[in-house]
Amino acid sequence: MKHFLFSFLIIVLGAGFMSAQRTIMGTVVDESGTPLIGANIVSKEVATIGTITDIDGNFKVEITSGVKTLIFSYAGFNPQEIALGESNTINVTLSEGQVLEELIVIGYGTKTTRFNTQAVATLGESSIKNRPVLSPQELLQGQAAGVQMVNSSGVLGAQSSVRIRGSSSITGGGQPLFVVDGVPLNDDVRTAAQGGGSGLNPLMNINSNDIESMTVLKDAAAVSIYGSRGSNGVIIIKTKRGSNKEKTTIGLDVSSGVSDPTNLIGMMNTNQFIEYNNAYRSARSLPAQTLATDYFDWPTAVVQQGKSDQVNLSASGGTEKTTYYMGGSFVKERGFTIGNESERLAGRINFDHKANAWLTVGTNLSTSKVDMDRIGVENNTFAPLTSAYLQLPNVTPFNADGTYKNTGFIQNVLAIEALNTNTFVSKRTTGNVYADFKLLKGLVFRTDWGMDNAETTAKTRAVNLLTPGGSASRDISNDNKWLSTNTLKYDKEIGNSSFGVLAGYSFETSRFLNVFVSGNGFATDDLPNVASASTPTSTFEAGSRWALESQFLRANYNMNNRYLLEGTVRRDGSSRFGAENKYGVFWAVSAGWIITEESFMKSQRFINLLKLTASYGTAGNDRIGDFSSQALYGGGIAADYANGPGLRPIQVPNPALTWEETTQYDIGIASKFLDKRISVNVNYYNKETRGILLNVPYPFTTGFASASQNVGRMSNRGLDLEINVDIVRRKDFNWSVGLNAGYLENKVLELPNAAVDLDGNRFVAGSGAQRAVEGRTLNDFFMVIGKGVNPQTGDYEWLKKDGTPTTVYSPNDRVFVGSAIPKYVGGLNSNFGYKGFDLSVLFNFSYGNKVLIDGLRFTENLNSAAGFNKSANVLDYWKESGNNAFAPKLSSSTAPLFNQSSTLQLMNGSFLRLRNVQLGYNIPSSLIGKQKILQSARVFVLGQNLFLVKDKNFRGPDPEVSANGANNVIQGESFFALPQARVITFGLNVKF
Amino acid sequence: MQTRFIFRNTSLILITLAFMSCEKELDLFPEQSLDSNVAFSTAAAVEASLNGVYSEAQTLEVFGSGPQTLEDFMSDNTEFVGSFPTLQDIKNYITISTNATVQVYWQVMYRLINGANNVIDRTDAVADPALTAARKAEIIGQAKFLRAIVYFQLVNQFAQPFNRSNGSSPGVPLVLKGFTGTVEFPSRATVAEVHNQIIKDLTEAQAAVPATYAGTLVRGRATKGACAGFLSRIYLYRGEFQKAADFAKQVIDNKATYALVNNLNFYSQLTTEDVFVIINTPTDNGRTGAGGWGSYHRPANLGGRGDCAFTTDLVTAFTAEAGDKRYIDLSDEVTAADNVKRRMTKKYPDAVTNADESPLMRMAEMHLNRAEALAELTGPNQESIDLVNPIRVRAGLPAWTLAQFTTKQALIDAILLERRKELCFEGHRRMDLLRKGQALRRTGPTVTLATFGADKTILPIPQREVDQNKNLVQNTGY
Repeated sequence: MKHFLFSFLIIVLGAGFMSAQRTIMGTVVDESGTPLIGANIVSKEVATIGTITDIDGNFKVEITSGVKTLIFSYAGFNPQEIALGESNTINVTLSEGQVLEELIVIGYGTKTTRFNTQAVATLGESSIKNRPVLSPQELLQGQAAGVQMVNSSGVLGAQSSVRIRGSSSITGGGQPLFVVDGVPLNDDVRTAAQGGGSGLNPLMNINSNDIESMTVLKDAAAVSIYGSRGSNGVIIIKTKRGSNKEKTTIGLDVSSGVSDPTNLIGMMNTNQFIEYNNAYRSARSLPAQTLATDYFDWPTAVVQQGKSDQVNLSASGGTEKTTYYMGGSFVKERGFTIGNESERLAGRINFDHKANAWLTVGTNLSTSKVDMDRIGVENNTFAPLTSAYLQLPNVTPFNADGTYKNTGFIQNVLAIEALNTNTFVSKRTTGNVYADFKLLKGLVFRTDWGMDNAETTAKTRAVNLLTPGGSASRDISNDNKWLSTNTLKYDKEIGNSSFGVLAGYSFETSRFLNVFVSGNGFATDDLPNVASASTPTSTFEAGSRWALESQFLRANYNMNNRYLLEGTVRRDGSSRFGAENKYGVFWAVSAGWIITEESFMKSQRFINLLKLTASYGTAGNDRIGDFSSQALYGGGIAADYANGPGLRPIQVPNPALTWEETTQYDIGIASKFLDKRISVNVNYYNKETRGILLNVPYPFTTGFASASQNVGRMSNRGLDLEINVDIVRRKDFNWSVGLNAGYLENKVLELPNAAVDLDGNRFVAGSGAQRAVEGRTLNDFFMVIGKGVNPQTGDYEWLKKDGTPTTVYSPNDRVFVGSAIPKYVGGLNSNFGYKGFDLSVLFNFSYGNKVLIDGLRFTENLNSAAGFNKSANVLDYWKESGNNAFAPKLSSSTAPLFNQSSTLQLMNGSFLRLRNVQLGYNIPSSLIGKQKILQSARVFVLGQNLFLVKDKNFRGPDPEVSANGANNVIQGESFFALPQARVITFGLNVKF
Repeated sequence: MQTRFIFRNTSLILITLAFMSCEKELDLFPEQSLDSNVAFSTAAAVEASLNGVYSEAQTLEVFGSGPQTLEDFMSDNTEFVGSFPTLQDIKNYITISTNATVQVYWQVMYRLINGANNVIDRTDAVADPALTAARKAEIIGQAKFLRAIVYFQLVNQFAQPFNRSNGSSPGVPLVLKGFTGTVEFPSRATVAEVHNQIIKDLTEAQAAVPATYAGTLVRGRATKGACAGFLSRIYLYRGEFQKAADFAKQVIDNKATYALVNNLNFYSQLTTEDVFVIINTPTDNGRTGAGGWGSYHRPANLGGRGDCAFTTDLVTAFTAEAGDKRYIDLSDEVTAADNVKRRMTKKYPDAVTNADESPLMRMAEMHLNRAEALAELTGPNQESIDLVNPIRVRAGLPAWTLAQFTTKQALIDAILLERRKELCFEGHRRMDLLRKGQALRRTGPTVTLATFGADKTILPIPQREVDQNKNLVQNTGY
């Protein structure tokens, strides 16, 4: 307060009054001469005096007589103190920090990249900023080697599938664990699927603008500290913080964009349909038919230009003792199909305070609300685009008087979106408070208390026109978690060597509640709620809980900065595990050798860093259901008798039921060459998951049909590659290129007691077309091969199991025709900077996977009386000998079976997509002017999904599909997924 | 100062850790269902667990018409004309071991046995003072009764009858302990062993269960009378006629509770005619999409499937003696599932809400059991005549006189014919033929497969069970 008053006086009394004041100017550059933007300059003596450099590295600071020394600092560089002399100009060259090595986030701590022996992939701020994504998983796409991230569709908030080094489970959960600032998030999907197999993304409340970094933990050394939850990999999200002695920076980011679908399927118009219908009926000697000649272009009617607007406001900074970050954001999106909208309001405060020499306290807290207008998706006649494709073109949505029609089974989706209600609100508060006690030099005790409270409400109301009598429902879920993490950390340096120990105890418990009510029969559409329904159809209330108690220990030793050793043990006790296996112990060891530290490498300058790492260890998967191990009795209507409530045994006791366990080894090379211009990291891994939960049949004489048991076995092995090259590094021009790629080989090793197909293969069925097969992959397609139309006969031909063509379709001819698991996934990025301009480009790709578009069985149904519109492709039917037609001749016996499930609907899913391209311009300080308000300003234009390279025979809406979201056993399938949106966004970033 | 500081903070850690010893917190239980220990922790929960066994008995696959209807269409009473291939196969004696209907009957019957075993095993240990020792005994008794009558049904359908080789042929696995997690692979006990267990259970149950309950529950829960009734039936099947006669008499003599009704309007009415039924209501019954009493026996236009019609043989049996109200009033000509006009029973009229009771044991059977047993013991006798006559008279037929029957066999045959007509479509016919060593059918294309002891007059052990449990021996011919 004194300082403030003093400063105030200075300002009021005017500059001229204070004869001692002077202005220091200058430039801050790195060793190559590149200006450092945003470098900090503070007075050593007077904490309130300071500034930061502009985009040209220039600074100007007015100082008072008390100021003798300025401290220049920049993240990753060694700070410099400069004593003020006579000159008013100070040019500073900061050298890259040897001490301030790049820190990466790992489980329960941080580590320098250099001394790290774990396999991790990190997304820094540059990979995250100005990416208007609705949920954080999307940022992973193409940005982390070995991570496959597939959006289930282009619908707003669609659940995604994230697999780190392949899927480690079959029937259990396969998603990685997300940890935000030390709080593991609940990510059970609590939204009902509306078509397709997946609900909404449970993590969409997280504001990506608050994220400083995302770290993907991949190998056993990295994940074993998360014990029974680590086997699917772990993603640690660190949110932004202020730093000590940082002048307050107010950031304002505004952007606005428009979106369109990347691709629509061409359907028949009324004329084409009538013509086709006539041709089909005459070819098959069916009596002629007169069809209505009205025409309505449904697909065009349900597609609109989407819009998205974002405002983010943040403040960050710090004093000697306190740092803070505050962020608030509002995002409003309208999807490119009617009825799909979303609004998110989010706020965050991160605060750290050093109370005294031995106590630091802090908090991270975020709260947000997402308000969505949902639409049906995929195989659902309430899905706008699905119904628009399937609706006959001569069916119109309106009556003569302009009111909506009920169009029957294929819904009038225009009426649905205009009249019905289908909303979803998700509120989430996540945060923690901690206290660090410095007990001795190097010894810190931290106690950390966190929570993750999520509440979701889904509301539907269908009007009388579309659902006779009208119907309504409300579905409210609460998922409340709290946890406490207590760690003791000791670090000690002895000469060139150092060691560290981390010991911890944590307890975590979560409570879930769900209430679902629904009813139908309303006097009028004006009554929105179930209370007004004449017939309640559901009054459902359910709850569940789980708890996890853990002890963990990690120790590492660094000998001569050259030999690295680390070991981790975690013991997890979980309420989900059976009584005989209540506690599980997970462990890992890893070692590293920094070869470039050896004396024989000291003489060369070509290789800057060469490090070998190896790790081996275990982690588990506890996503096996909350109460799968207990002998259970259930009540309800199946157990009552003669007006007396009853109970009956419903679940097998299985006291041995436990986690699925993955053992993984990893060998890695990390290297930097040519003055660190080139960095190459390669990791080979081999994971084997044992004890995969499968349903094992029991003799009925036990009273039960089957029980979940830990019996399956599966392996994932592959290679992760990261290459980054700084091609140009100059003062006003820099250009870098990066590639990350993951190669994956998945194999199901054992499925004891699973079903056996006609050829003797054991399998677990995913969908009708896909199954996990012993000796093959988790997601093998098992289908009849469609060979094509015989140009001579005009018949469609399939292949029999022995490979000979046939005109008789039989499911007994199904064979394995490829996997939904890509061999390679990855991304390519490039960043240019020229003077004030910056350009970044990100491609991502997937190679070697198959995709099934099941909806084609409907749109490519040759039977004109099927009741659905048809794809314009089927107009290419065989007409005369020699035609290389898409569809058979209409009189062929194969015509009615043409659309049967076969490889006709299975396509090459490989693609390369320009995911992101961003062009920015930093307005030079000369234009911003000499006013003191603005520190920097940048305008940008961002394009997403601008182009796509895919197989030329790909007939679906988009190769990037996963209708069943995170489901392990159904991947790469879609009915009609909404294609990804092509988005153009304009934005402004300003710092005050 | 440093020391104090370290001391203070170390204590803090210790306090925190002590406070957080959370091992007990890991013992969590679900809310929509109960851990089996909780299901046997209070009086109310134990009563409910017993209800759960009765509820299982309601199901189609146990006493909800499935296995009972099979008794009639696997013999000469019912012409099965429905579309179910699995039932068609059983009717035609060409059943294969993967028959899905047979599998699910087996599955659900053993599911009931497990539920009953749990009640029998665990009720005694319940510490709730509201549950008296006497009440515990009653509960265990009821569970034993239910277990016994399900084993009786299993052994009748999955094994050759007792009289085939004096009970030495393979019966069914006897599982007498509730499942606790360790899978066991029992082999088949002999028919005699299964019978002994049934008799033991029924005898123990009879000593423990009440003679009566409030209101209509006396018809739908295990009573001393119901136990006696089933003991009478099993002794009759075994040819132990004195015991069969004695146990039937126990029921007949309990005139306060049981008496023949003097008309034919007692079906589903819970009258003194009923010794034991499974009570069904519109909201609580065993029907599934696959069938039900009314569903099997009523035509499509009345909500049923129209699957089960009278055989010509049965029509002939009825029409041989004119004026039988059990034919005239209790059946009608309707359009069956095969779109042919056929005669169907009206004993189960409710194919819409499926509230017809399952008539497992009624007074007419007690009269017929004792009449038959006495005839076997002493030849023509007045008491047998007196036991059958009220049944004939209420059916509108003339009373018998002793003089009509000159030989023992003549009287027995007459009683068996009366039994066929009285109890048709109630699940008796197949065993009534087999226990007398008779063929299931005497006319039609399947007669050679229907002879006494023929392979497919009994059901196969489900193939899935044989696959899962190597100790199970399949029935001959499967």
